Amino acid sequence: MLMKRRTMMVGGTALALALSVAGGAMAEGEALKLGIPTSRTGPYTVLGDQVVRAVEFAVEEANAKGGVAGHPVEMKIGDTEGNPDAGRRAAEELALGGYNVLTGTISSAVGLAIASQLDRWDAMYVSVVNKSPKLTGDSCHPRMFRANHSDGMDLAIVKPWLAEQEEADWSIIAADYVWGRGSGDAFKAVATDLGKNIKVEVFPPLGTTDFAPYITQLRDSGAKGIWVALAGADAINFAKQAKQFGLTDQVKMFGHNFVVDQTLATVGADGVGVWGNVNYTAAIDTPENTAFVEAWTAKFGTPPTNYEGETYAGLQAIFGAVEKAGSVAPGDISAAFAGLTVGTVFGEVTMRAEDHQLGLPNYLGRAVAKDGGAAIEVVQSYGPDVAVPAADPACKL
Amino acid sequence: MIVNALNGLVYGSLLFVLASGLVLVYGLRRVVNFAHGAFYMLGAYIGYSVAVHAGFIPGIIAAAAALIAVGVALDLVVFRKLADRDPLVTVLVTFGVLLILEDFVRTVWGTGNYAIDPPALLSGVVQIAGAPFPIYRLFIVLASALMAGGMVIWLRYSRSGLWVRAASHSPAVAAMCGVRTNVLGPLVVGLGAAFAGVAGIVAAPFLSLNPSMGAEILVLSFVVSVIGGLGSFGGAFISAMILGQVQAFGIVYLPEMAALLPFLLMALVLVARPQGILGKKV
Repeated sequence: MLMKRRTMMVGGTALALALSVAGGAMAEGEALKLGIPTSRTGPYTVLGDQVVRAVEFAVEEANAKGGVAGHPVEMKIGDTEGNPDAGRRAAEELALGGYNVLTGTISSAVGLAIASQLDRWDAMYVSVVNKSPKLTGDSCHPRMFRANHSDGMDLAIVKPWLAEQEEADWSIIAADYVWGRGSGDAFKAVATDLGKNIKVEVFPPLGTTDFAPYITQLRDSGAKGIWVALAGADAINFAKQAKQFGLTDQVKMFGHNFVVDQTLATVGADGVGVWGNVNYTAAIDTPENTAFVEAWTAKFGTPPTNYEGETYAGLQAIFGAVEKAGSVAPGDISAAFAGLTVGTVFGEVTMRAEDHQLGLPNYLGRAVAKDGGAAIEVVQSYGPDVAVPAADPACKL
Repeated sequence: MIVNALNGLVYGSLLFVLASGLVLVYGLRRVVNFAHGAFYMLGAYIGYSVAVHAGFIPGIIAAAAALIAVGVALDLVVFRKLADRDPLVTVLVTFGVLLILEDFVRTVWGTGNYAIDPPALLSGVVQIAGAPFPIYRLFIVLASALMAGGMVIWLRYSRSGLWVRAASHSPAVAAMCGVRTNVLGPLVVGLGAAFAGVAGIVAAPFLSLNPSMGAEILVLSFVVSVIGGLGSFGGAFISAMILGQVQAFGIVYLPEMAALLPFLLMALVLVARPQGILGKKV
């Protein structure tokens, strides 16, 4: 009941917005209808907010230019609550209501739940946040694409970094669902490969409030380094509590999706010193990104966050596929998407036909002290040749 | 081991303060108040807004004052008006209040997360069993003990406390003996709401603020009051302490089942002793 009411409310507002946006456009022809099943409630709401902002921005921009290949763009939002059941229902409502180009889901578990229904709904799904290797691995689908960085891509840049670190003993704390578990396993494989030891692995459930028992275990493990795969509210709670227990100052911490603008804005100085993958930064030096950051800053007064940048890049890729297809039918867009080379804020990137992974550059950085709070400092950039590992043979398209 | 037990004590204390508000309202009104989690969230947000400008103590006072007002309003507008209806109707209305308050918080403060630092005096660590332990967590135990102790003393040794106990036992007989139950209602519901609000702001420095925080902790405080026996303070205390330890040690020794343990415990208690640990048979 709770879900239904919210989905309708959020969806209604979004529809009104989409109509007003579309109404102002010059484009004619059949509309490209984007369904955005994302987190409007639950621990990932803060990520969902950023995705919604970026999609709205991209849609508005596309319509102002006369649409995508003559097709006006409309969007509608649903609430996945961050869980696969509610997420599948929200996506179904969108897809069967005609909003069948789905994107914007936060949790990988929800993304996978949506992927399993794409044929039945005659829809397609483009991930802009999901990192689980399964999406482009054994669960890959002819109509599913990933326009953001996978765990595998993040680990590809973590490996050279980890090899240089002197700490031999590491522990892992990761969210207890498909993404966190996958991230933990991937780190374990890389660390073991480099001759490092994994002391303990702990998996708090999504939405954990008190991390004290986990922090105590990590500290008692004697590890000198800690891999943290937590996001959203979980990341914030953990960061604050780890600092209070003195853990952050005792060990080297690498946060997977942790060194992100929104988390650092909330935890402030308590996050300083943490290393992390930086999948997108407003400082990327391409003409497309400069134009995007300028337009975004003019509208919102702040530069885009990493999730906003990645989502926007995903939308650029989708629009590129629609242009190539010359159609808004999910089947046609999917066919055009595989193997497509498209200009995004990351520069020219290619959607790999073998597993539908977009070949993106990647960045590594850390949180540094700035004005009493924390800011992201990019330490190292990696081109797609280093940052994108080979396609998983388990994916048969 | 000691640190684990302490972790459990801290979480148990927080759960107890929350559950005691729930128990207080159930005792008098015989209604399970779903809006209790929203009170906790609202207290945290109001306290946060005041604390960032005026300091932590004014934040706590503001949270308590605002929530007393909300509680009194809830009693006058909902509980009293619906007193003659099926309790289920009232429960559903409190669920509606929960949704309204959640949307209110989203509208005023947005959906993002907020974090607040503990007051400087309480922000350090002490060495316990050779490892640093945050002083603020010990403060939570102390604050919970003071609140619970204050409530017990009031209920046991004051005249108004006696009236509350009498009215909880039998509202009709208490009214016949001259107890003004109409006055007690707003007082008790206001106090219960204030407990939730203060728990919210006291928890804020170690848990971040977000609009889902109320729903998350409400479930566990229900479990505490059901295990303890609805309406029983002593029961809520024992069950909160047990649950805190089950949580702290469960995560270490039975990590795969940790999330399930509180509910497993509740199921066991309901099978073996349906009225709860200290609940009375009805």
